[in-house]
Amino acid sequence: MPHFSNKKLIVLLVSVIFLVALISFSLRDRQNATFPEQIIKDTVGFAQGIVAKPTNYITGIFSGIESLLNTYEENKRLKMRLEEFAVLQTKVHNLEKENANLQELSDKEQSLLDYNPIHATVIARNPDQWEEKIILNKGSKHGVEKNMAVMTARGLIGKIILVTPYTSEVELLYTNNSNYRVSALVQAEKEDVYGLVEGFDAERNELVLKRIDSSKKIEVGEKVVSSGLGGIFPKGIPIGEITEVTTDDFGLTKMAFVKPSADFSLLEEVIIAERSITSIDGLDGAGTNNDLTNENTEAEGDE
Amino acid sequence: MVRYLIPFVAVLLFLLEPEFAKFSPIYFKDYTAYLVPRFLILYLIFISIYYNRKRAVIYGLIFGLLYDVFYIDIIGLYSVLYPLVCFIAGWSIKFIHQHLLITTVLAVLLVAGMEFLLYEFFLLIDFTAMPFMEFLNGRLLPTIGANLLFLLMLGWAFKYLINARLLERERSMT
Repeated sequence: MPHFSNKKLIVLLVSVIFLVALISFSLRDRQNATFPEQIIKDTVGFAQGIVAKPTNYITGIFSGIESLLNTYEENKRLKMRLEEFAVLQTKVHNLEKENANLQELSDKEQSLLDYNPIHATVIARNPDQWEEKIILNKGSKHGVEKNMAVMTARGLIGKIILVTPYTSEVELLYTNNSNYRVSALVQAEKEDVYGLVEGFDAERNELVLKRIDSSKKIEVGEKVVSSGLGGIFPKGIPIGEITEVTTDDFGLTKMAFVKPSADFSLLEEVIIAERSITSIDGLDGAGTNNDLTNENTEAEGDE
Repeated sequence: MVRYLIPFVAVLLFLLEPEFAKFSPIYFKDYTAYLVPRFLILYLIFISIYYNRKRAVIYGLIFGLLYDVFYIDIIGLYSVLYPLVCFIAGWSIKFIHQHLLITTVLAVLLVAGMEFLLYEFFLLIDFTAMPFMEFLNGRLLPTIGANLLFLLMLGWAFKYLINARLLERERSMT
């Protein structure tokens, strides 16, 4: 290596200290991006959005060709299911009507199920893929807030972790982050069973649903949806299907492996679910440590 | 004209990386391959070797900072690694022959080294719990393969562009 003079050595040392300070500052559990960061994110996001359009178009053509090749098989399968759907549709229609009537009776206007969809385009994916992040082209100016649920037509894919005026960052369900929890429920035969989606098993490529009451019975093949009890997610967004049920490490609660219903590769168009009912920053939240039961601090925790 | 083309290509590669990252990971039956596009740093290594080390280090700093802020949210990771890699690449020209093939291999090796450092860093701060063998098979080798393929296809174009710039500079000097 080149020879270092004394002066150079001091500069090197100071910059190492500066570097460590900078890294540890940015590693803290930050709630918001600083102002210069926001500017950079928005500018790069804008340029990224321009580049993303033609590339999305090209990948769209390729996936179009792929689905064209599968058309025959798919058509056969879909025709078989079509008849079931006709029956299902009438049933849903009746249920919806009945539900509306009952809601009117009970003066209940909003339910946890309702949400306003905000459509967004994926403009980038974290290229180094250590954290599973994608970046969307909608930000706080469009009403996006931290911790909102992000989904595709097939199911939940993640939640918003950082918002700037014109972009937002999504951490996917596939993450190692141990603070990442989604309150979920299993639609079991008799009753709904609650649990938390916590983490992801890299070997099986499946999500892990933990803290299920061990007295409740759940079975393989049952559907897992978001419960809406976490505070910000709407209820009923499909997450996946149970593939295996075991007891967890301590033997106190049950644990299940869930195969996600959404397809995580090649995400392009996603929906951000803005819950209609008041949202509070609870279990799904950012670890603000605020008192959530108290009205005043609730607003703070809601940022 | 070529003068502005060099930073323009860098910006383009920076913006293209995440688009290519969308294709990854690739699943085979029970094997998952992460392909990490490292186009920009490969290009900067070429600039460092064939053109100007100082210029490459400055580009590395700027783009590393952008990368940190936009994707990683840990400031000071890529903004150190990129200039460092460029610096090492520029320093190595004293010892190696500047043949295209040798530069290609060197660039890919440097990227592999950088990938390993990143792995160690993320392991240290608990962002990942991936065992080393899995990292080697599932990430490092596919990444090396993909980036080598990229360089074999476009390395000559980088060299051509830089040579054009050098020629232009000489002409303007005389």
